[in-house]
Amino acid sequence: MIEVQNLIKKYGDFTAVDRISFTAKKGEIVGLLGPNGAGKTTTMRILTGFMPPTAGTARIAGHDVTTDSLAARGAVGYLPERVPLYPDMTVEAYVSFWAQLRGVRRPKSQVEAVLKRVQLFDRRRTLIRNLSKGMRQRLGLAQALVHNPPVLILDEPTIGIDPQQVIEVREMVQEFGSAHTVLLSTHILSEAEQVCDRVLIINRGRIVAQGKPNQLRQQFESGEHLFVAMEGGDGDAAHVLQNIAAVAAVTPVEGGFQVRIKPKQDGRGAIFDAAVRAGWRLTEIRPISGALEDVFLELVERDKPPGAKPG
Amino acid sequence: MMMATWIVFRREIVQYFTSPIAYLIAAAVLLLTGVVFNQDLAMSIGTKPANPAIVPQVFSFTMVFFAPLLTMRLFAEEKREGTFELLMTAPAPESGIVFGKFFGAWSFYSVLLALSFVYQFILLSISSPDLGHTLSAYIGIWLYGGATLAVGMLFSALTENQVIAAFISMIALMLLWLGDQAGRLIANIDAARIVRGLSLQGRFNSSFAAGLIRAEDVAFFAGMITVVLYVTIRVIESYRWR
Repeated sequence: MIEVQNLIKKYGDFTAVDRISFTAKKGEIVGLLGPNGAGKTTTMRILTGFMPPTAGTARIAGHDVTTDSLAARGAVGYLPERVPLYPDMTVEAYVSFWAQLRGVRRPKSQVEAVLKRVQLFDRRRTLIRNLSKGMRQRLGLAQALVHNPPVLILDEPTIGIDPQQVIEVREMVQEFGSAHTVLLSTHILSEAEQVCDRVLIINRGRIVAQGKPNQLRQQFESGEHLFVAMEGGDGDAAHVLQNIAAVAAVTPVEGGFQVRIKPKQDGRGAIFDAAVRAGWRLTEIRPISGALEDVFLELVERDKPPGAKPG
Repeated sequence: MMMATWIVFRREIVQYFTSPIAYLIAAAVLLLTGVVFNQDLAMSIGTKPANPAIVPQVFSFTMVFFAPLLTMRLFAEEKREGTFELLMTAPAPESGIVFGKFFGAWSFYSVLLALSFVYQFILLSISSPDLGHTLSAYIGIWLYGGATLAVGMLFSALTENQVIAAFISMIALMLLWLGDQAGRLIANIDAARIVRGLSLQGRFNSSFAAGLIRAEDVAFFAGMITVVLYVTIRVIESYRWR
């Protein structure tokens, strides 16, 4: 559905996208993951036909985005990062306008169906300026879906809305995945892990890693991080923890310790045994930070341009 | 392209009839034309026939200010709201979008013009005006309005700030309007001719408003609309390369 080969986009001397290649099959949800300014939006703008690439090819549903732009654009539903709305239009008129501009001849039934799907049907006569932020986001999705495109491109679909609505939007995106190919960008790792079938990690315009979320985690796992709290440890606890074979590092934090376990070791068991031996009562052992988070930070860190300051 | 033109056109028309600024302009136009019409009528009693082109003449000067106000929204707002990106990624050619917006603005303007027919009905009921003269003035001011709206839309396509779009197009239209006077100040006869030939005022006041439909004036306004729309399409396309 989406085929990208050696895509390059330069703005003057600055290379925003640097030889990116990937494909996405029908029914797949692919996540573009990367820090701000990594080239996610630029990649998406090329795929949606907003701007041409400097070099390389991209095809949407078999149509080249440069040579067969109109057909490629017709096969895409696009939700830009900032939801584009006409504040003075009603919900219904807005969705209907985009449906027609994308070639839907009798939009009424499709508009109705898509508004029901994003739970805005009872708001169809409301002016867009009166919608809440979460509703606007759902309206943005409705606009992208109304012409039933094979490919959906969503740029940071969950940014700036409250947690309950984030969950709703994520559930919707997962639902779309069965009928459409979805390419979505995010800089929230847990989101990519939760929603996507496959993740591409982008940094400074290049793909630095890709694969299924759990594969990535295994491949780059640098060891689990645990939060450990106990009673009776007093002064020597840090020292005792440090001496456990499976433990790589110990950092005292408020109320306990942050313990990094060496890769592929059973850290919890070892800590528990040590606690029994030392006569502590463990009050808490829990993993901290998300699995992909570490992979991501490490890759981005490794990829720093020469001479860049840390942090 | 036809389809896109029609869909964009319909949205623009609805937008005009629901926007407060369009109603403000309609009110201002009716107020101004009403005052001038009454004045001319009062002065004509017993001295001369009433001027059937007086209302279109009011339009000709006020469009220097009203055309930018009517068109400043067209592209600047799309860019500010981000809908411009969706328009550019819709399977619709740029020309269709530009034509749709232009015809939307021109149609709203045509409705404004039609409102002023009320003065012509008053004239008809109290005197016997030369209807040919009236018709010529209206054809002229209709084309003239199209040209000024096209200029306003071009400047809206160049910026995402509506105030800047309106301000710059007012200056541009003012310069075009003053071409007549500017021509008189230029010593070089050929250059003066060119400047005067481009004058909005000269193309309207001394021909259409006097009851003359000259092919060269029709061609001037039609050509101006064509050229400015072409440039606007190019400007819109150029956003892909930024």
